[in-house]
Amino acid sequence: MTLTQFFQNVLNGLSIGSVYAIFALGYTLVFSILGIINFAHGSVFTLGAYFTYMLTGLAVGFNGILATTRLPFALPFILALLVGSGLAGLVGVLIERLAFRPLRKRGSDRLLSLVSSLGVAVVIVNLIQYLVGAEAYSYRSDPFGLGQPTVNFGTPERPIPVRSVQLVIFAVSVVILIVLTLIINRTRLGKALQAVAEDTVTARLLGINTDRLILFTFFVSGFLGGMAGTLVATSQSITGPYFGIAFGLKGLAVIVLGGLGNIPGAVVGGFVIGLAEAFVPSQYVAYKEAVAFALLFIILLIRPQGLLGRVQVQKV
Amino acid sequence: MSESATVLEVRAMTRRFGGLVAVNNVSFNVAQGEIFGLIGPNGAGKTTLFNLITGLIPPSDGKLLYLGEDLTNRPPYKIAARGIARTFQNIRLFGELSALRNVMIAQHIHTRSNVLTGVFGLPRARREEAISRRKSIELLDLVGLLDRADEKAINFSYGDQRRLEIARALALEPSLLLLDEPAAGMNSNEKHELSEFIRRIRERFNLTVLLIEHHVPLVMGLCDRIAVLHFGQMIALGDPANVRNDPAVIEAYLGDE
Repeated sequence: MTLTQFFQNVLNGLSIGSVYAIFALGYTLVFSILGIINFAHGSVFTLGAYFTYMLTGLAVGFNGILATTRLPFALPFILALLVGSGLAGLVGVLIERLAFRPLRKRGSDRLLSLVSSLGVAVVIVNLIQYLVGAEAYSYRSDPFGLGQPTVNFGTPERPIPVRSVQLVIFAVSVVILIVLTLIINRTRLGKALQAVAEDTVTARLLGINTDRLILFTFFVSGFLGGMAGTLVATSQSITGPYFGIAFGLKGLAVIVLGGLGNIPGAVVGGFVIGLAEAFVPSQYVAYKEAVAFALLFIILLIRPQGLLGRVQVQKV
Repeated sequence: MSESATVLEVRAMTRRFGGLVAVNNVSFNVAQGEIFGLIGPNGAGKTTLFNLITGLIPPSDGKLLYLGEDLTNRPPYKIAARGIARTFQNIRLFGELSALRNVMIAQHIHTRSNVLTGVFGLPRARREEAISRRKSIELLDLVGLLDRADEKAINFSYGDQRRLEIARALALEPSLLLLDEPAAGMNSNEKHELSEFIRRIRERFNLTVLLIEHHVPLVMGLCDRIAVLHFGQMIALGDPANVRNDPAVIEAYLGDE
């Protein structure tokens, strides 16, 4: 591997890794509070990408019942990204109200919530197919308006070109990560979240409205999922209603790798898997997924609690 | 004591779990400034009564009045905000957080800053953070844990965890404090100190205290009045001397042996 390739791989790995990180944080936030994996997270990722697509004023294809419709307005891409992610956040809120809260209030087994979130995922995928068809959608080329497709990190003689869209993805993700970290560590809301994550019952007795916090968590989770969906779609395209399903599995690998329910762990896990994939030689690119999951196996053999997870001490 | 204002009024409180009546038609009043003891054999319904008062579980029947306001069926966070704080029989600290953080979280409801002021570190948020930190440090000092403020709660000894839990409950700035077996696992010396400590915080924070305790000498020495529960029913209520000699109480305790 030349030095050029090495740098390219690192930058690409950081870029996709940062998206993995924000996506996986969506899982982690919900898990840390409810101890439940929200299997609908991957489909919220998909929805976010479609929302942004619509909000930029592009028309639906010919197959769904919404065929050839388009919104009467077109937002600039960055704004569409934020609004689209916000809508995905609202979908997250809806999922909490419809799929999680009723079961929680009845004191059902956590496994049931898992199944109901899987059900939501299936419903969303089918709804998308019904409404807008199964074809792939692409954003306008150069959605961020960068002007040039690549940025050269080397010299003119020895170029190290990196796709500019990857850099934007990295920048946006890092900003999101910083804001989220500040919210969790610096605000009253963040402290309440930590308290609920540690012990919901006690948090309620300390005057924290846990139901509202859980709603908020689902909003943030959906926002992060939707944003990740849009970002991934800018570098490739929306491949169809199943767009987020494979990504959803990858996100699970990321949070298990980093340590379930651990917020820094999700970020570290995202970057580790992103970098590992980026270093898969291009002729073996079909094995990229295998590398991510093999890495997961190996790390779990050495550290069963994940990279940053805490060891569960069973008290007798 | 009977002339002072009533803080808490438990009125015909009943809680059923399926066929089991855990708390059966229990009524009593707790007056301002009183230390009110709740005793009874295991399974008598004492902790269930605490859970009812703090809103963790709704009553099947009956009413809960606090300072004249009906708090029946209010969610726990609202009851806490009204000024009722508690500790737990099985300590429930935020184990992975520092002692200081544990106490500061309970200060949370007395601060006003929002997400934006917090994220950007605006003056108001920083000022509130500073106030909340100062108050929490005072409380840690009061319970004698100031030098361990930055240690994780999970690493504390049993007795220290109990004291930290009291500090955290006090951070809510309650007027009614519920202590669930605060002396459990303490030696006699520590128990004596605890009695003194409870009296001291009552004076200092103008508290009313409701406590569950198994250790009879401690309850008798500390409480102004005592209610005795047995299989969910209140079988005696009165000052320590009367309760001690009550035949029903003696029977309940001897029957339990």
